[in-house]
Amino acid sequence: MKLGKRWSAPFIIMIIAGTVIPICSIVYYGFTSRKGGFTLSNITAMAEPEHLEALGLALLLALISTLVCLILAFPMAMILRESKYGKQGFMVFVFILPMWMNFLLRTMAWQVLLERNGVINSVLGAIGLPKQQLMNTPGAVVLGMVYDFLPFMILPIYNVVSKIDNHLIEAAYDLGADKAYVYRKVIIPLSVPGIVSGITMVFIPGLTTFVISNMLGGGKINLIGNIIEQEFTVNSNWYLGSGLSLVMMIFIIISMLLLAKFDKTGESSFI
Amino acid sequence: MSELIRLENISKSFEDTNVLNNINLTINENEFVTLLGPSGCGKTTTLRIIGGFVQPDSGRVYFDGKDITDLPPNKRNVNTVFQNYALFPHMTVGENIAFGLRVSGKPEQYIKDKIKYALNLVNLNGFENRRIDRMSGGQQQRIAMARAIVNEPRVLLLDEPLGALDLKLRQEMQYELVRLKNELGITFIYVTHDQEEALTMSDTVVVMNNGLIQQMGTPEEIYNEPENAFVADFIGDSNILSGRMVRDKLVNINGVDFPCIDGSDNGFLPGREVDVVIRPEDIDIVPPGQGILNGTIISKLFIGVHYEMLVKSETGSGFEWLLQNYDSYDVGEKIGMYVKPENIQIMHKPKSEAEQAIELDL
Repeated sequence: MKLGKRWSAPFIIMIIAGTVIPICSIVYYGFTSRKGGFTLSNITAMAEPEHLEALGLALLLALISTLVCLILAFPMAMILRESKYGKQGFMVFVFILPMWMNFLLRTMAWQVLLERNGVINSVLGAIGLPKQQLMNTPGAVVLGMVYDFLPFMILPIYNVVSKIDNHLIEAAYDLGADKAYVYRKVIIPLSVPGIVSGITMVFIPGLTTFVISNMLGGGKINLIGNIIEQEFTVNSNWYLGSGLSLVMMIFIIISMLLLAKFDKTGESSFI
Repeated sequence: MSELIRLENISKSFEDTNVLNNINLTINENEFVTLLGPSGCGKTTTLRIIGGFVQPDSGRVYFDGKDITDLPPNKRNVNTVFQNYALFPHMTVGENIAFGLRVSGKPEQYIKDKIKYALNLVNLNGFENRRIDRMSGGQQQRIAMARAIVNEPRVLLLDEPLGALDLKLRQEMQYELVRLKNELGITFIYVTHDQEEALTMSDTVVVMNNGLIQQMGTPEEIYNEPENAFVADFIGDSNILSGRMVRDKLVNINGVDFPCIDGSDNGFLPGREVDVVIRPEDIDIVPPGQGILNGTIISKLFIGVHYEMLVKSETGSGFEWLLQNYDSYDVGEKIGMYVKPENIQIMHKPKSEAEQAIELDL
């Protein structure tokens, strides 16, 4: 036991420095007014129309992105499962490869593609079509989120579907099921833990993102993440920023608890 | 008994390995057939071809006279009990058993009755609502059986279903399987590498090796009259020796002449090189000089009912005979050995690859 304690010390220090202290300070700032006294106004500020709107938009875009990711990732994970050792596996690897690059760079790449005078509009112009407003739209933000977060959906789902015993699928066919029935009653139910952690890993960063909406939304798409960021950086109002962050944290905890309910096996609750 | 399944000239290779070489096999209705052989002999592939999970490279599969070679598994009137049971871990015992019935859209009351009936059949009354991972290996095995049989298949395919169970449970389940087969009155096709399982349960044993059927027959035929050295060696303990036919009903083994019952009537011409199998329990121990040959006991093991002894023969090359006897003899003791002519099983030598090639060229 002594040895175990000694080895765990660096991690305990990391947890204290990286999680406990920041959370404590956010809680402290969140309940403190600019003048120094205790206040709830930083928390209740979330109810202001401007903030509610940003929160609503963030929820909507995060939900859409999560859904799109799920729709893309599940077939992808199944293809990966089927082609573990084949050439297709290599193709998928190539497909995933750019996703391992820093996500700021990838988002920047989309900027170049979507700009008013960017690659896509040049191509459209070349074939005689009118230029489109692609940048600074909610669609661009969703695109950026899907592109950036897709691996976080694919990997947990792949992780689960790759472990589904092939005999189970054979057994379902053997008992007379057709492909749709096998998916509905065997493959998807068994993938739930992966789907749940995939959703968690896409929805939560999506909900709080500010970088993607900054870069592809051009300041016109204001998500709750952007507002919190501005409070910390532009307005130097750590108190309001912390208060809003605390509300977001509660949102995230609630959504994780809801997700954990779907995952009956309880294997992957809280990621 | 009428024919139910017929495999015709089935061949299958995976990448460069030939798994099945031109298999022909007929299985009758209400028969317990065991495909027996070492791992890699093609027995499981044969079963999977019947189940529809593997497509043969060539050859046809007939079921009840109809060609089902291209039919997918969900359209075949067979059900499989998989080696690892393949029970759905996210469903209860009852839901597992009901799977096939729900697929075919049976009414809920019928499904309920069927689950009850099936659980009763496999001695698991009242386990409907248990979770699969709360069941022991033997119980899971029974659930897998129940899940397969509620669909009333005409054939049940069993892929080493007892492989993961301990010895005692395995023996119990052997009786259960035979009882089930008789109660249901359907065909069982059973795959195993365990010769004891094959001999105790089957009506017909199909011994396979290297993608070929070595011998097919009743357990008694397979044990008492193996057709070649492989079958003799695989089924039970045996002394396998090379011999030469001296004349009709006399075979020379290692320089000693043994009277036997085979001769030119069944193709063993004088002078022909043959394989000879003598089962260890068929060698009688007599006082020295009164048997066919003498030997010295060099080791002795007590294995439950009988003693197993190795006897080095005085004559010939000093072959070490395996003997089983109820009486104990001391190591170093000199004994005589006698074998009844009908207990000497004479077999054709397997053709060498060169000879097979010549035959193909012809």
